[in-house]
Amino acid sequence: MTEQSTWLSQQIDQLATQQEKFTDRAFWLALKKVVAEQDRRSDQLGGEVDGRTWRPDRW
Amino acid sequence: MKTLVLVSHPQLADSTSQQFLKASLPSEGVTWEHLEDQDEFDVAQEQQQLRQADRIVLQFPLYWYAAPAGLKQWEDTVLTRTFVYGDHRYPLADKELGIVVTTGMPEQAFQRGGAEGLTLDAALAPIAALAHRAKMVWLPTFPIYQFGYLEEPEKLQLVTDYQRYLTQKQPDSLANRQDWFAQRLTGMVDRLPAEQQVTGKLIASVFDQNREHLDQLTDTLAMIKEQEDD
Repeated sequence: MTEQSTWLSQQIDQLATQQEKFTDRAFWLALKKVVAEQDRRSDQLGGEVDGRTWRPDRW
Repeated sequence: MKTLVLVSHPQLADSTSQQFLKASLPSEGVTWEHLEDQDEFDVAQEQQQLRQADRIVLQFPLYWYAAPAGLKQWEDTVLTRTFVYGDHRYPLADKELGIVVTTGMPEQAFQRGGAEGLTLDAALAPIAALAHRAKMVWLPTFPIYQFGYLEEPEKLQLVTDYQRYLTQKQPDSLANRQDWFAQRLTGMVDRLPAEQQVTGKLIASVFDQNREHLDQLTDTLAMIKEQEDD
């Protein structure tokens, strides 16, 4: 997890805690999960781009 | 998208899981109906509701590996042969059919060798066959195992998972999940009290940036793959 995602995750947690309605709290916490998934997918795709660009046979 | 939720439960008021799901319903786009509330089904009206829906969700507790009798009664009364496939007209064709099923046994019971020895897919085979006959699209089932044992974080997760099951585009991919949240995010931020608006907007903007960044990466990757094929 990058520093930014840790910070964002804390912000979402804090916002969620402040919600009085159970369903509102649920929304923000679920959003946190999607943001974490975005991070993970971004790492994986970034890695794949690097891996595919690294082609010693084309040097 | 219009979703029709048909709930079958003989004692709805006593069911904590059904009351929880009712309280979790999305604020718009969903029509909710309790089948056992009706002494007699208005067949024409029930069929009209089905015609108007894009996604139909049957929701019930699992009683002896099947839905409660109320759902079967509704099926036998409302889903007449003429309506479902008579005259080679298929008014339900291409509509999605989803199942929200609650069980008293844990997930691991529903497999061969498990305590029930039967998968939920196998138990729901008659409804799946009906969907197939009506040329409907069968959605992956949404099971809720042992609701009574869920802790608060799991219940919070259930609220949004359930809402997405009712209203999110299928399949449940990251792209479709992102779209679902994006459609609701601005409204959710607007509803925040003034002092929380800044944080809400900041979160929304990072979410959007992440989404754009992922789109760019996907495009780049597609381009690289295309060149590799050449």
